[in-house]
Amino acid sequence: MKLAARFCFFVLALLAIQCGPASAALQVNVNQGNIQPLPIAIPDFAAGQSGDAAVGQQIAGVVRADLDRSGIFKPLDPRSFVDQLRDPNSVPNFANWRVINAQALVPGSVTTNADGTLRVDFRLWDVYAGSEIGQGKQYHTAAANWRRIAHIISDEIYERITGEKGYFDTRIVFISESGSLVNRKKRLAVMDEDGANPIFLTRGDYLVLTPRFNPTAQMIAYMSYYSGRPRVYLFDLETGRQQMLGDFPTMTFSPRFSPDGNKVIMTLEQRGNSDVYAMDLRTRGVSRLTTDPAIDTSACYSPDGSQIVFESDRGGSQQVYVMNGDGSNVHRISFGGGKNGTPVWSPRGDLIAFTKQAGGAFRIGVMRPDGSGERIITDGWEDEGPTWAPNGRVLMFSRTLRGGHGSQIWSIDVTGRNERRVQTPGDASDPAWSPLIQ
Amino acid sequence: MSHDFPLKTTGTRNRISSATLAGDNRSPAGFAVSLLLHGAIVAGTLFTFSHTLEISDQSPPVVPVDLVTIAPKTNVRASAHHEPRIAPEPTPPVPKAMPAPTPPPPPAQPAPEPPKEAAAEPLAEAPPRPEPKHKPKPKPAAEQEEKKSFDVDKVLALLNKVAPAQQAAAPNARSSARTVRGIGEQTAMTADLQDALRSQVQPCWSPPVGAPHPERLVVSFDLFLNSDGSVAQPPQLTADSQTAVARDPFVKAAADAARRAIYTCSPYKLPADRYQEWREINPFIFDPRQMLGQ
Repeated sequence: MKLAARFCFFVLALLAIQCGPASAALQVNVNQGNIQPLPIAIPDFAAGQSGDAAVGQQIAGVVRADLDRSGIFKPLDPRSFVDQLRDPNSVPNFANWRVINAQALVPGSVTTNADGTLRVDFRLWDVYAGSEIGQGKQYHTAAANWRRIAHIISDEIYERITGEKGYFDTRIVFISESGSLVNRKKRLAVMDEDGANPIFLTRGDYLVLTPRFNPTAQMIAYMSYYSGRPRVYLFDLETGRQQMLGDFPTMTFSPRFSPDGNKVIMTLEQRGNSDVYAMDLRTRGVSRLTTDPAIDTSACYSPDGSQIVFESDRGGSQQVYVMNGDGSNVHRISFGGGKNGTPVWSPRGDLIAFTKQAGGAFRIGVMRPDGSGERIITDGWEDEGPTWAPNGRVLMFSRTLRGGHGSQIWSIDVTGRNERRVQTPGDASDPAWSPLIQ
Repeated sequence: MSHDFPLKTTGTRNRISSATLAGDNRSPAGFAVSLLLHGAIVAGTLFTFSHTLEISDQSPPVVPVDLVTIAPKTNVRASAHHEPRIAPEPTPPVPKAMPAPTPPPPPAQPAPEPPKEAAAEPLAEAPPRPEPKHKPKPKPAAEQEEKKSFDVDKVLALLNKVAPAQQAAAPNARSSARTVRGIGEQTAMTADLQDALRSQVQPCWSPPVGAPHPERLVVSFDLFLNSDGSVAQPPQLTADSQTAVARDPFVKAAADAARRAIYTCSPYKLPADRYQEWREINPFIFDPRQMLGQ
């Protein structure tokens, strides 16, 4: 009997196998999408008192402009809103925001405290999920700092949506240019990332070039022809004081700070030979990093400080090389054709931006630190001198108009999208992006 | 042995016991024979099934085509759509040439200015000046008229030839009257459902670009839908994606973007009679690698 039962079980099992397993849930793999900016609704921030309405409008306006400039967001026109948020701390009626296709909503409020300071609140809502993204935040600041608060809120929104730090609460140091081509006046200038609050740091009596921020955004290293001799100087933004960096008998140029801010790496020219040197700002000790008789310049540290990328013509043409922080293990990484120079390591370490000269044009490109994955992301006549946003997502660069008529600063996403002109007071070149202001 | 005990009781018991005894006596060989016979039946069933398939080659089964009617990309008309035959009508003749050449049409594109920067950029090549387009010359009226009438007739004749051919071929594409399903409720073909859902969610999905490692941005969800195509409950990340999201803010941004896409494009238009097949989507994978060049 047992054998018969086993046989029946075997037959039933065989039949069950022939029938096949019943499938479970539906499986779907989506591998194509539609890259487009995120529609976001940012109503004017509600006023705690009657006098705060103007500030509420201004803050919301700056946040809208910041996010629009990023290319990742599409702030919706406030005139399309069918709902006016009276209380930003209550849960919105999401249906009123879905009808205008808003995917995110940023209600906020501004209140002037008794001591004259501002209190700014905001929240970020996911309209379709009906849930809050992150938590509401509240800021207290002097009334004059409302623009910075707006930039900080923009950075918060950017980070919560994209997963990476923003770059709106930053500054740009650049060379402001004016006058004719033969009598060009170049001044050191600094402004907010959105072009607001431009300040001229030098009067234009002498030529200045290649300004670079230190990691705290309080110090600028640059090359100046002050007193007729080209030297690297430091400019303290807090005090306005300038000092020459080392008293070398010959020309120093192309400075850049180390990631910890304790060193400045620069090029020193001696008897026609340009090499890369590093100066310790605490001891003022100098160490030579390259010894090749070729021109080695435009050095830049990797984010961890362990490596240095620079340009050199030691192989016969201007190319990009990488070496260890102590000058060892020099190897070329640019093999994509043409001449390649002014390399800058991304703050997140994954890419190196550079200027490629090929086909009669200068363009901005990026490649991995091993030289692979080279991509040219701009298509101007003369685009050069890239600088990274602190999140390694966006680049700024100088663009000289065709024929050399005018110089401008442009920004572009590392993907090659969202190319925009940066507003500057007059012609401008050689931008350097600061870290996030602390 | 146990068979001795019933023989010593009653006759009835004896008969029964005899039968039992007889059964016991043939049990080793009987089971073997039974096993062989059952095995032969099963084998015979299998052979018969295979033989049936061979026979079916002579008369190919009709493949139902009504399983692909819901996806916009794979939408196939279920039955022939009888368009009215286009018959030649005495319509005005179609003008062959352009209207009167006066005034002459402006050039399609203004001729580019010679590059002023030629001296500054000798390597830059000036784009070739586009050749001026040939202006249509007016032809004698008699010749035009002759050509017009000739062309119209020819076109209509072609249409008359083509239309019956299409109509003749259309009935072969007609679907069967019923939907053929596999065994079980959820074993029907689901490629059309996948296509339908994929094509509806794609327009809403904007994955984060510019992340340092796009190959890590693949996320998958377990999603339940209501019968009207709306999202039944918040999409749940699968275990692997939950781990990745907790570890990497870029993956979290990718998961948020996918979740927004799921909500934004809902409710989904899917066949209500097959709700059991699309009630749960798991895994619902969002893979941006192809888009981001990885």
